[in-house]
Amino acid sequence: MSQGQRRSVVITGVGVVNAAVVGASPALGAWLTRPRAGARTPPGAARPAVRLPEGTLAGLIDAGEGRRLARVCQLTVAAARLAVAEARVDPAAGLGLVVGSELGDFTSTIAFADGYLARGPAGLSALLFPSTVMNTMAATTAIAVASRELSLTINVPTISGELAVARGAAAVASGRVDAVLAGGVDELDPLVAETLDALGDAGVRGEGATFLVLEAEPVARARGATVLGRVTGAAWRSLPARPWGVGRRVASRAIAEALAGAGRATPGWVYGSASGDAPRDAWEAGVLAAALGARPAPAVSLAPLVGHHAGLGALHVAAAAWTARTRRLPDRQGGEPARVDGCGLVHGLGRGGGHVAVIVEEA
Amino acid sequence: MRPVVVTGLGAVSPFGAGVKAFWAGLAAGACAIRALTVIDADGFRCRIAAEVPEIAAGSPRRSRADRLALGAAMEALQDAGLTAAERAEAALVVGAVGGGMLEAESWYWARARGERTRGWAASLRSMLPATHAETLGYRLALGGPRHTVVTACSSGAVALAEAAELIADGVVDCAVAGGVDAVTRLCFMGFNTLKLLDPEPCRPFDRDRRGMSIGEGAAFVVLESAEHARARGARAYAELAGHGMTTDAYHVTAPEPEGEGMVRAMGAALAAGGLTPAAVGYVNAHGTATPQNDRIEARAIGRVFGGGRVLVSSSKSMIGHTMAAAGSLEAVATILALTHETVPPTANLTTPDPEVDFDCVPRVAREASLEHAISNSFGFGGQNVTLLFRRV
Repeated sequence: MSQGQRRSVVITGVGVVNAAVVGASPALGAWLTRPRAGARTPPGAARPAVRLPEGTLAGLIDAGEGRRLARVCQLTVAAARLAVAEARVDPAAGLGLVVGSELGDFTSTIAFADGYLARGPAGLSALLFPSTVMNTMAATTAIAVASRELSLTINVPTISGELAVARGAAAVASGRVDAVLAGGVDELDPLVAETLDALGDAGVRGEGATFLVLEAEPVARARGATVLGRVTGAAWRSLPARPWGVGRRVASRAIAEALAGAGRATPGWVYGSASGDAPRDAWEAGVLAAALGARPAPAVSLAPLVGHHAGLGALHVAAAAWTARTRRLPDRQGGEPARVDGCGLVHGLGRGGGHVAVIVEEA
Repeated sequence: MRPVVVTGLGAVSPFGAGVKAFWAGLAAGACAIRALTVIDADGFRCRIAAEVPEIAAGSPRRSRADRLALGAAMEALQDAGLTAAERAEAALVVGAVGGGMLEAESWYWARARGERTRGWAASLRSMLPATHAETLGYRLALGGPRHTVVTACSSGAVALAEAAELIADGVVDCAVAGGVDAVTRLCFMGFNTLKLLDPEPCRPFDRDRRGMSIGEGAAFVVLESAEHARARGARAYAELAGHGMTTDAYHVTAPEPEGEGMVRAMGAALAAGGLTPAAVGYVNAHGTATPQNDRIEARAIGRVFGGGRVLVSSSKSMIGHTMAAAGSLEAVATILALTHETVPPTANLTTPDPEVDFDCVPRVAREASLEHAISNSFGFGGQNVTLLFRRV
């Protein structure tokens, strides 16, 4: 390893649904060429957030799902379907699912509690209750895309999406499953936003979902799949920090282990998790400097454009595959992309000390 | 793939703190399901649960669930005798669902009443399932890979499977893994609303069963590569010889009627362990006591093992359904059954269901020569997990 890395793992499908870009890898590539931020709402607010415009999901899910599924599940299903469609993978041949989420379905959870507080036991909804469990997005998505192998929901502050991709890649690399749909999803609930504000979370928040189809390369090649990129290393560790806290230690083996798994000494470029949460961003900069030395690679984070959410980490992996193919690192200000070489590091450091590194290369 | 053994056990259960109390309760066939006290059950048809009687570990400022987890994880680490250096490299995988929701609910209930709330920031900070892993990692100085899995009622078992994969794949030599859940209002109200709770203590596999009983607790184990355990002279309780994880992709709350996903999970665990069904002597069933689960699980066990051959029992008859902790508490029960060569019973089972073609060990524990045993855990979302243990 890196984390259990043995079979070559490739990316064969991408699905993105957020305020700035909706679609599969061609739509993502077009956006990355000249990235523009999703609209921040409310305008002029002290803590603007990047929200998905109304109606975005209408063409991505069917009417029954629109009525039946909670909004965060709709986001998940929509992005997952886009990825599966691009990959043209057959779920019947064995498809696992790894969903990263930081918040789950708080909208339904709050509605369930409010029913009781308003009317007592008679106000409780049997339909809402299953959505109070964080695996509700995985449950509905497994049904929607007929994923019948392992199904995991991973909850880690800040880096759930990166970790879901790393965990999915490990499952494929180890030979336990040939294909995994992996990514992350979150939605913005007003009460949750208010609560996070009060807890001191200062990043730009967003919502959305990004999923990738990860496959064993021989399996993907044998069926003639279009290969979008290769995940050559992945590792995760933890740094000491109090729950929800920012730590001081910057030495972690995650980056070195991921690079070693890829057979690389250093990355040519970096997608980092910096989101405007100043203490955490400074900690991440320290960790990257400790791992990569005094001459850091060019780095970018898409968090300010789409807002921080659990889909961001998976979006960074998908974007890294584009960068590896085109050798262009997007300019967050919408300018000309920078020319880069070598392998890419997708890096995530979370409040609480979760640390993940994924190496992405051209296939 | 490297063999993985269990070298440390820890449990905080409705029988009290410690593995010793847990096994004493199981072996006696005692039922710890009583009147609910942690939350207000007024107005609900069911008003009972299996609560942990006393929680010694951790500051009272921590969430109830965090304290349950700390108690169990500290016992497991002490039992295994890992050094500080080994802990610094050990992985941590936690199965969780409710997180610190019990305390967050108190805040939200008070907020709804327009009351001023004190200490709310700490409550909200510990609300998410991931908080247990952060608390354990920080307090116990576990510095390896760390993550939290949320797979509903199978979470605790998935945590063990995840940790076993990290060891088998050579990522780490040691891991701490388990599940935790405290009683919460949301969980209690939700299962009441789904009409899945029996007003009396649950009766798995009984013809007249009427549903489950809620419980709470935590169980953690220390897993190691067999080679690492041998090198440091550690005692191994059992080998985690295989596991299977599958998904029904059928319904969000109901299991697939033929138990096809359950069959695949059990089959995958046996295949990973290189065993035929005949090698397994005991199945620690998911056994929730809902009419539907027990019927479908029995059908699935029959399809894998053949009718009537293995002993089957449900720990939930004694400690209730401890949600995210269930899979890990029942894994510990299964390991202890192997080491004691005694199958814990199914309490409250008086009239066996004729549709359940197994000896479900009614009310009294049974001595049995066991080499291999499995523990089944299933959850909302059609999540199926089977852990296979081998006596060492």
